Amino acid sequence: MIKSILFWVLAILVAPFFSAVILKVKAFFGGKKGPPLLINYYTLVKLFKKGSVYSTSTTFIFKLGPVVSLGAAVTVLLFLPFGGHPPVFSFSGDLLFILYLLGLGRFFTIAAAMDTASPFEGMGAAREAYFPIICEATMFMILILFYILTGELRLAAYFSGGQPFGLWQAAGSPMLFVVIAFFVILLAENSRVPVDDPATHLELTMIHEVMVLDHSGPDLGFIELGSFCKLFFYSSIVARLIMPFESGYLALNICLFVTSLLVVYMAVGVMESVVARYRMDRVPKFLLTSFALAFFATVITLEFLR
Amino acid sequence: MNIPVDMTLSLVLLSVLFSFGSSRLPGLIKVLAFQGVVVSIVPLIIGHDMTGGGILFTLATLTIRGIVIPLCIHFAIKKVAIRREVEPIVGYHASVLAGLGLIVAAMAVSHRFNAPSIGTSVLLLPTSISLLGAGMFLLIARRNAIAMVLGYIMMENGIYLVGTTFSVRALHIVEFGILLDVLAGVMIMAVILQNIKQTFDDVDTALLRTLKE
Repeated sequence: MIKSILFWVLAILVAPFFSAVILKVKAFFGGKKGPPLLINYYTLVKLFKKGSVYSTSTTFIFKLGPVVSLGAAVTVLLFLPFGGHPPVFSFSGDLLFILYLLGLGRFFTIAAAMDTASPFEGMGAAREAYFPIICEATMFMILILFYILTGELRLAAYFSGGQPFGLWQAAGSPMLFVVIAFFVILLAENSRVPVDDPATHLELTMIHEVMVLDHSGPDLGFIELGSFCKLFFYSSIVARLIMPFESGYLALNICLFVTSLLVVYMAVGVMESVVARYRMDRVPKFLLTSFALAFFATVITLEFLR
Repeated sequence: MNIPVDMTLSLVLLSVLFSFGSSRLPGLIKVLAFQGVVVSIVPLIIGHDMTGGGILFTLATLTIRGIVIPLCIHFAIKKVAIRREVEPIVGYHASVLAGLGLIVAAMAVSHRFNAPSIGTSVLLLPTSISLLGAGMFLLIARRNAIAMVLGYIMMENGIYLVGTTFSVRALHIVEFGILLDVLAGVMIMAVILQNIKQTFDDVDTALLRTLKE
């Protein structure tokens, strides 16, 4: 139990580091040196030292938004098996809890954005509310598949220990489609490139960035940390799927896990470097592809199991 | 459960979804060429009569299905310089969802058949049925004549897979007959396409309604 809590703290601490890996990969593709790997820590420290500025037209919702979104992301990490180690909390049906906890965080980000009454933020909020609907369909399709395979509704039952390998054994090749579908969800939920550009400077094309334009100082720090944690959560699920083995030694397990995490983050970085961002009306098609893949995997697996 | 065969067949099913989602003709032709190649190596993987003649026939099928027919259509497009859009009647998103529904329906229907293929692979019959349905869908839901030709070829791929399930011995002879018909059909269609293009300056089949005696 103590170990699980230590791993949880560790997960929050290392999440900003991994996000910097993406920046490094992008800089490499651009032929640049890129920011140092600890850049996100510097940014967070800088933001936490600052004071906050609140517009007079905003209410307490605006102050609540960053706190709730960070709280949701950090709570979700409590359920994550870090490198296959049993998580702090785990109960039957915790998957739904996790999904809607992330939904709660998003809801408060959207509400805070609407609270500023800026037209740009409303537009970004509308997009942020629209795209995850399709992601949720994909997510539930994958959950149904995992439920069929294992008969359990706990995140720890799918991703702790050697369980992911069991999933591969039971489903076979369709798991490949699940991994791809999950990667697409990762890109969409964390507003990475083909869906949204985290580095854009044009309000008209922003999705996530435009919603946090009015936050400053520690609030912005909370939002940044929350998004690092969220990305870490999704990436470690994909990492567990692509590296499903259990070695028996804790240190080796963690090494394998960190290596596969680096692979996932680098894949995100490479994706951001080689793929142009999609036009806004092409995004639903991209997300629908992931749904089709997940659905397809489920149907085929059902046929195999019969 | 026969893993190599099932993996190949799930690639075929995936190509159905991609063909429903692709909006450009060159992309659609590439998907169909890929499908042709994958479909024709299925007998090799199942491997029930791998005599020298059998392998030769399979390779010949692969060449015609995966290389000759797609190239024919590719050059037909280049020659008549038609528009690249497939002009759907049913939109792409709806098509992909319809494709998923089609696969589910094919899975459900295939349990009602008492085919001898169940021993070889669970996916063989569902895949062939969904290929037949998908070809039909492309014929109905696209107005571009080339897309219709491609739907026709997809149906032929489905018939070939059905043949793999039912007959073992006479497979290659029957299949070769069908394939020659299809090849001739594609050539004739290329000629007709050219005529449509010359008359209407487009290959939209909806324009054919304006023809009067």
